[in-house]
Amino acid sequence: MLRNFKDIREAAGRTGKKRLVFAPSGPAVGPAALHEAVRAGLIVPVFVGDVAATEKTLRERGFSPRDFEIIGEPDPVRSAALAIDLVRGNRADIVMQGSLGHQPFLDLVLDRERGLLRNRVASFVSLFDPPALDRLTMVTDTYLHNSPSIADKITITENAVQLARLLGIASPKIAALSAIEQVNPAIPSTMDAAILAKMAERKQFGDVTIEGPLDIDCAVNERAATRKGVHSTVTGQADIYLVPNVEAGYLTAQISVFIAGTPMAGVLMGTTHPVVINYPITSGENKLAEIALAVLLSGTSK
Amino acid sequence: MIRTFDDLDRLAAEKGPKRFIVLAPEDEEFMLAVKQSWQRGFIEPVLIGSRDKIERLAGEAQFDITPFEKIFESDRQGIANRGISMLFSGDVDMAGKGQIPTAFIYRSIIREESKARKGTMVSVISLWDIGGLGHLTSLTDTGVNINPDYESKIEIIRNAVFLFHLLGYPKPRISVLSGQREIGGTLESYRDFERLRDVARKGELGSCEVIDATSIADIFLAGRKSFASYAEIPIGKAAFPEILLMPNLSTGNILVKLDFVIPHVRRRSLVMTTRGPVIIPSRSDFHDAIVGEIALGVVTADRVRKA
Repeated sequence: MLRNFKDIREAAGRTGKKRLVFAPSGPAVGPAALHEAVRAGLIVPVFVGDVAATEKTLRERGFSPRDFEIIGEPDPVRSAALAIDLVRGNRADIVMQGSLGHQPFLDLVLDRERGLLRNRVASFVSLFDPPALDRLTMVTDTYLHNSPSIADKITITENAVQLARLLGIASPKIAALSAIEQVNPAIPSTMDAAILAKMAERKQFGDVTIEGPLDIDCAVNERAATRKGVHSTVTGQADIYLVPNVEAGYLTAQISVFIAGTPMAGVLMGTTHPVVINYPITSGENKLAEIALAVLLSGTSK
Repeated sequence: MIRTFDDLDRLAAEKGPKRFIVLAPEDEEFMLAVKQSWQRGFIEPVLIGSRDKIERLAGEAQFDITPFEKIFESDRQGIANRGISMLFSGDVDMAGKGQIPTAFIYRSIIREESKARKGTMVSVISLWDIGGLGHLTSLTDTGVNINPDYESKIEIIRNAVFLFHLLGYPKPRISVLSGQREIGGTLESYRDFERLRDVARKGELGSCEVIDATSIADIFLAGRKSFASYAEIPIGKAAFPEILLMPNLSTGNILVKLDFVIPHVRRRSLVMTTRGPVIIPSRSDFHDAIVGEIALGVVTADRVRKA
């Protein structure tokens, strides 16, 4: 089982180098972590973009452009599309977002015809490495879905379970969060959580336990749950926290990063090939964990 | 200006004891909290609830309640109505929720406020004391309104601004939180931010400021596109507001209890009425947390009467 970001980096170092396409490139040739991943032997980069600008930037960063494959496509949208074509054709393993806006980049990645969408929907997991715990925890969806429907939440759950399995968590425990721990029709997310819990009971997600609805105090603290009369193997032990909407998810991730200072890496799930996006709240020092996760994910979901 | 919970505890001992009506203290942790708050000179309790339970739990907590006023009543709504009407008549300085559904208390507050023709909306304000920040902050509404609309958000802001004025902050800063990203179109919560910022600028919300940041990331990054490490963005350097307005209840309830997993964050919650505070401990709070909420009630009760 991979218990922290260090384990993830080490595991990625054992899989063999993956080809990572960075697009669009030019004035940007990736964060420091990308070059660290090259030096560590995790990846071989391919740059798609403005060749002259890419070469210039690489030289400024102290690299020799001759050491890298650079494919010319000056138009940012077309270069990102080309990068996606390269992984679709299995000529590369991973796509990494360069200097193209989030919406146009994700539109290309998640396009049903020409993109990399594998599952019904893609979703985003914030993976945390809390220093006080000897294991990793996940919060999802923390970026993509404004107000996921119950059908979306089913796929969001499956996507997170897939990541949990990659990390070696054999029987993931999932807390389906809402505002309260009782089912209340006035708060639809309590009903979604109850449905997911029932589905898990019927083994519709495989070897997975889901408890819900749970409010966050019951989910993270067993004593608090006991006071509220909630008895479950998930309380205080959750591997995955499913949030009711993006406001709860993205803001929870932000408080964990900026106020708690917990190391966090973001992972896009539900695609045929790993995609590293510019999650706005990932710090430079945690970006290497995102690349290492992409390396581990590569080849697991085709 | 009250900057930390330690300030509150010190002031509570100075300004107490306040007459505190305890609505159904029928749980061990709660009774223990009442006992300790009395021992520390914060309160003079008035106990209302089921006779059997109150006497049994006081016995278990080794708390001699013979000197205190007691009102025996077993109907839950009856307890809430009686207690809250005593707060509004000035018979007690503050009230606190024990083992009684929160909705009953809200109903009683709304009834009393409408009698007083104030018509204010009930909202829960949860204060956070974040180590290293240097001032108090708060999350609201964390307990009542499931999906507050723009008009409701104005009332929620007014309640929080009222509290911060009492705590000695002349112009509290407000962040209207949203899950707005560069993807997914424009969220309702972001539209609310734009409208609230505009009315705040016109002075329609009183002495306060709606800042441009609509997320915790905005507050910390202040326009930066990226950051190399957490060490670059210490909380003491962030322009962190006093009031974080929650987009909805699910978000508010999840965020506010993240203190469970952040060692340097502490939480105390209350409802401000025009006649004084009603403290609303979470059903999962332990006695030390409840004592802290009582201290917050004592200090705000003292200041409401003087205002």
